[in-house]
Amino acid sequence: MPRRGEAFLTSEEKRRRRGGILRQFAGWGVMAPGVILFSFFVWVPLLMNLYLSFFSTKGFNAEEFVGLGTYQELFQHPDFLTAFGNTFTYLGWSLLIGFILPIIIGLLLSEVIHFRALFRIGIYLPAAIAGLTASILFTYLFDPSSAGFLNTVLEGLGMEPILWLDDPNLVIPLIVVTMTWRGAGSTALIYLSAFAGIDRSYYEAAQIDGAGVWSRIVHITLPQIVPSMTTLFVLQIISVMQVFYEPFVMTNGGGGDRSSLSLLLLAYNFGFRDGRVDLSSACTVVLFLIILSLSAIYYLAVHLLKKRGYRV
Amino acid sequence: MKSPFRAFHMPRLRYKQDGILVQSDYRRTRFKILYGVMVALLALMLLCALFPLFFLFVQAFKSNAELTSSHFAFWPEVFDLGKIVDVWTKIGMGTYLTNTVLVIIGCAVCAIVFNGLLAYGVSILRPRGAKVIYALVMGSYMIPTILSIVPLFKMISDLGFVNTYIPLWFSFGANAYYFILFKSFFDKIPAELVEAMRVDGAGDLMIFFRLALPLSSAIVGVVAIFSITAAWSDFLLPNLVLKDDSMFTLMVKIFSINATMGTVQGITPDMLLMALLISVIPQIAILLIFQRKITGGSLDGGVKG
Repeated sequence: MPRRGEAFLTSEEKRRRRGGILRQFAGWGVMAPGVILFSFFVWVPLLMNLYLSFFSTKGFNAEEFVGLGTYQELFQHPDFLTAFGNTFTYLGWSLLIGFILPIIIGLLLSEVIHFRALFRIGIYLPAAIAGLTASILFTYLFDPSSAGFLNTVLEGLGMEPILWLDDPNLVIPLIVVTMTWRGAGSTALIYLSAFAGIDRSYYEAAQIDGAGVWSRIVHITLPQIVPSMTTLFVLQIISVMQVFYEPFVMTNGGGGDRSSLSLLLLAYNFGFRDGRVDLSSACTVVLFLIILSLSAIYYLAVHLLKKRGYRV
Repeated sequence: MKSPFRAFHMPRLRYKQDGILVQSDYRRTRFKILYGVMVALLALMLLCALFPLFFLFVQAFKSNAELTSSHFAFWPEVFDLGKIVDVWTKIGMGTYLTNTVLVIIGCAVCAIVFNGLLAYGVSILRPRGAKVIYALVMGSYMIPTILSIVPLFKMISDLGFVNTYIPLWFSFGANAYYFILFKSFFDKIPAELVEAMRVDGAGDLMIFFRLALPLSSAIVGVVAIFSITAAWSDFLLPNLVLKDDSMFTLMVKIFSINATMGTVQGITPDMLLMALLISVIPQIAILLIFQRKITGGSLDGGVKG
């Protein structure tokens, strides 16, 4: 964004504002620590991942160039296919459970005027809990034994006990429940601010026209929050693709059936458990490419829709 | 919401002006019922949010015999507050808490100074090429450290930083989210103010500490709180970097207790639950003290429609 008034400056004045070579140096000097830290913690490791994925490795060091050999081995690895499928299962459940819920909570928070502070802080509270704490707590909550809390409740209702996290068909949705428990509150607050930003006059006009609640929601509220919805949709997809902490702590990917193994957990295990840094790097590169292409599709779609005059 | 008692202030529906349903709707019984349903739904959500924490609070007071019993009872036989002290000394939580505070302070300082300086350079000084840095930082916004943790760990150990807090502190100095928060604030500082200070002979660092940071005290506070809660919760990089038990942070210790449960003499599941409860209390306290800043901050950093 141009600074205020800059548009009216001549190029000579602009140059003076930017300053001479000394000011350039000073500018870079101020930025240097940050640039070094970003390089060390983000950019260089990412490039090293890419580099290592084309080599055979010994320990953490590259040995011999193998081209796409590592990728070939990765794609044929039985765990990779499982982890790949699981990651998309996580995604499906997360969108099913975790996408609509925050919108509903945000809507309710904006409409209900009683106990506002209590509802807002209370529903946000799980977001303040550490992911590790939440994962251990929910592992305990989902105790598979017949003396576990939830199974005791089921027994009281006259139902059969459930294996919870030990059930390969339930484990992913239950981990998604844990993630949603922590995440829904803060997302709901973002929607709350989107709802609060809607111009009151739209509703007034609709009310004068005699529009009911449903048609007000469909014709005014939802169209107004579409930009927030699309962005949060993509952010959710990107973050769920990187699911790691919860399966790492709660199930360590599941037993022999690898029922909750995710791509990132597989990469972590390759690197730190099996000593296969090459496979680990290739696996994160694949994940990175998936995320990159999803973001690219999103930006392309938004760009095209905006061009056609849609409000996205 | 300035006073906690405002929470108990009863607003009247017939004055409601904003939102989908307004005062004139609430003259009709149908909408009054709908409002009741909405309050009930929200109360249900609140229950879902709070129940697991309440559950932890109750279970943490159970003895190990109660926990492993084949019959489940919701309430512990006694609420023995002495158990908190007991578990505290048995696990030695004082050490881990001190370590955690040390880590947190360094992380918060790094988060403010380094992301702040970088944002200051990109937003106000803008030397040639700053746009490239801006693009690179924005590009890495959605890429977490875990994605490339293997090479990162190799680099940390090559530099000999294993079993020190140095990599943990500095890792908070490279956070795209904090950078964005700072930049959006610095962008609003008028260029005239910066020029005026410069004419008075102030250097770039002086302008940063005397002008940019004080003017952005609101966002400095938000970044401080965010980084404190994030550093408190962080366990992946600390778990890899910290090797000696005496260096562990609380989260690393809890993770190691959980991972080695049943193999270490004298550590039982009930102690883990109590340790979890103790670790949760400061986080809830921070939220309650700074709730305006935290919830407001997540709105600022959130999506603008």
